[in-house]
Amino acid sequence: MDPMKAQQLAAELEVEMMADMYNRMTNACHRKCVPPHYKEAELSKGEAVCLDRCVAKYLDLHERLGRKLTELSVQDEEMMRKAATGTA
Amino acid sequence: MAASTSDSDVAMSSGPTSASADSVDPTAQFQYSLILQHLIGDKRPIKDLNPAVMGAMPSPHKTDQEKMIERGMESCAFKSLLACVGGFVLGGAFGVFTAGIDTNVGFDPKDPLRTPTAREVLKDMGQRGMSYAKNFAIVGAMFSCTECIIESHRGKSDWKNAVYSGCVTGGAIGFRAGLKAGVLGCGGFAAFSAAIEYYLR
Repeated sequence: MDPMKAQQLAAELEVEMMADMYNRMTNACHRKCVPPHYKEAELSKGEAVCLDRCVAKYLDLHERLGRKLTELSVQDEEMMRKAATGTA
Repeated sequence: MAASTSDSDVAMSSGPTSASADSVDPTAQFQYSLILQHLIGDKRPIKDLNPAVMGAMPSPHKTDQEKMIERGMESCAFKSLLACVGGFVLGGAFGVFTAGIDTNVGFDPKDPLRTPTAREVLKDMGQRGMSYAKNFAIVGAMFSCTECIIESHRGKSDWKNAVYSGCVTGGAIGFRAGLKAGVLGCGGFAAFSAAIEYYLR
């Protein structure tokens, strides 16, 4: 599979991935940072600060795990390639 | 967690490749790592993180100026300034009021039996009002500033912020008269803040 096709496929998958990540991030940060006491409509200072931190951590986590996962999958496929050329 | 990820990865990549391992050359089989690299790895494109693209409701972008104004109005400095000004006004009103019901206003120590003139009484009332105003302004600014800092640090918005900052403010004010007065001030002001928070929430 050449890199162009991989890039196109990744671009198609990316929209769905970003939407899914956004939904999960919103749900998780809402559950952690906004307690269910709705006395006023505005976000208080503590909640706003908590949400900033939550989003920053979530995106950092996403990036680190993505890098680690691609590293691991490249390693696995190197191993598979060696095993395939070894037996072939 | 790393071990299980690599296991599932091997299982994933070995699934479709094992079927075609015999007939196709090795470079065509290995799709997943390339796609992953373009999707979440190092070769992914730089994204414009717009909420409309990611699935939220499309909303007009806030201008930089609007964001700056909003950030300024939510900052701790602005809130403590607001509390300072409010405390000053309230303290002035309270001081003038207490001067109004005080019988000793305009008292001249050199000549205690003389009734003071209107100008002396007014000047004394003004001084007392100014003194109360400054005290209230300082206390208000300190309380608001510490409450905002504590709330920013904790990341939560509940009654404990007011209690902690009440203790800090009362302790700071009372500490000038010794340690015991500091502890007493901390406890008193914290209890007062707790009562106000209970009433407000």
